[in-house]
Amino acid sequence: MDARASQEHSTITSKMLVVDKDADCYDTIKSFCERHHLVGLKAHEEHIMAVLRSNVDLGGIMLSERLAGLGEGARGLARRIREVRPELPIFLRRRRESADQPLDARESELFSAVYRIEEIDALAPALTAAIFSQQYPNALVRGIAEISRMVLENQFPGMSVEIDQPYLVRDRIIFGEVFTLIPLESSWCRGYMMLQAEQKTLQALTADESDDFRDLNNALGELTNLIWGWFKNRFINQSQPIHQLSQVPIIINHQHRYISFGSDDAQLCFKYVLRRADGAPLVLLQRFIFNLSWSPEDFTENQTSVEELFESGELELF
Amino acid sequence: MAQILVVDDSSTVRAEVGDFLKKNGLDVALAVDGRDGLSKLKGDPAIKLVVSDVNMPNMDGLTMAEKIRSELGNASVNIIMLTTENSPIMKERGKAAGIKGWIVKPFKGEAVLPTFKKLVGA
Repeated sequence: MDARASQEHSTITSKMLVVDKDADCYDTIKSFCERHHLVGLKAHEEHIMAVLRSNVDLGGIMLSERLAGLGEGARGLARRIREVRPELPIFLRRRRESADQPLDARESELFSAVYRIEEIDALAPALTAAIFSQQYPNALVRGIAEISRMVLENQFPGMSVEIDQPYLVRDRIIFGEVFTLIPLESSWCRGYMMLQAEQKTLQALTADESDDFRDLNNALGELTNLIWGWFKNRFINQSQPIHQLSQVPIIINHQHRYISFGSDDAQLCFKYVLRRADGAPLVLLQRFIFNLSWSPEDFTENQTSVEELFESGELELF
Repeated sequence: MAQILVVDDSSTVRAEVGDFLKKNGLDVALAVDGRDGLSKLKGDPAIKLVVSDVNMPNMDGLTMAEKIRSELGNASVNIIMLTTENSPIMKERGKAAGIKGWIVKPFKGEAVLPTFKKLVGA
């Protein structure tokens, strides 16, 4: 195994937008986030819509009831968030003085859970249900990062490849202008791998910096094909027949840059940052959506050394 | 008149493999899928080696190999698969169709060039 790859974390995190202006609560919320593998992103209530526009890979939002910005308070803000990002779970921190006053039914629907700062750990089950509902085998998470690094380094020699800690995403907003989808079919998982990029990134990655969008599409397509092939070689026992043939429509709304696979489960996301010595960072996002079937208890890893095979390039003569 | 036919739906791979072979003195024709590959092979009797992807639209590479033998009746052209697939079941199907060899992508030209040259008699 590549030394760098072995050091990459398989702990899965999720990005949580924290909109809470009560400084007394920061340390408690920060500690909660750390204990529950959440990466807290602080945002001011007045900027939240802009923050949402620039962060399309969130796991959820923690709001404080004390927010009074724009004259509408946390409930008004929650309604506005719901309108633009209905898939993001919102967790509401209630004030001590209002904790005994239950939310009415309409307000309750806005929130996945409510909590008080003194009992923040009671939020954990709701967090699990909303974001961490699917368990991913460490070998799978580590293997995806290794395979992808191998492919990226081979395709783009001379570039360094950094991999962020894998994270779970509830957002359904498409990143960049170009993405690919390819099915993953096995006895233990059925779904898709999606690779997303900005067109300018693909242009910078192609050998002659082509401006023909078809060339850029093809470059991302071949990258997808290579990662998919190695995923299959490593994780899918291709001698086992697949009997499940169910499918659901994939819905894409271009106006909202939104893609739905029909499942509410969070999606496993990897962020790859490629850099030339003198260049700006180039970002590729990879998501795994096991929307049709997910049985991690049946997960298998093939014994073939994909690294050796990948590096050899040898011809097997029959 | 080409010596080698490269069949791949990815223009990136066609360019990568085709350019490498041309730089090394080989005459190359390109096809975008199995259907196109069959047609190109039918029209160019000089082709001695077909290097083909497996997963392609319209007609996959293994079906193309089977049709080269059955429909075209061409038993002599050498066929090598260049693919991300490494499944024993697929390889067995390829062997049954009389393919000569299997390369798992990525393409490492220097590693296979001597064999390619030998197969085309260059």
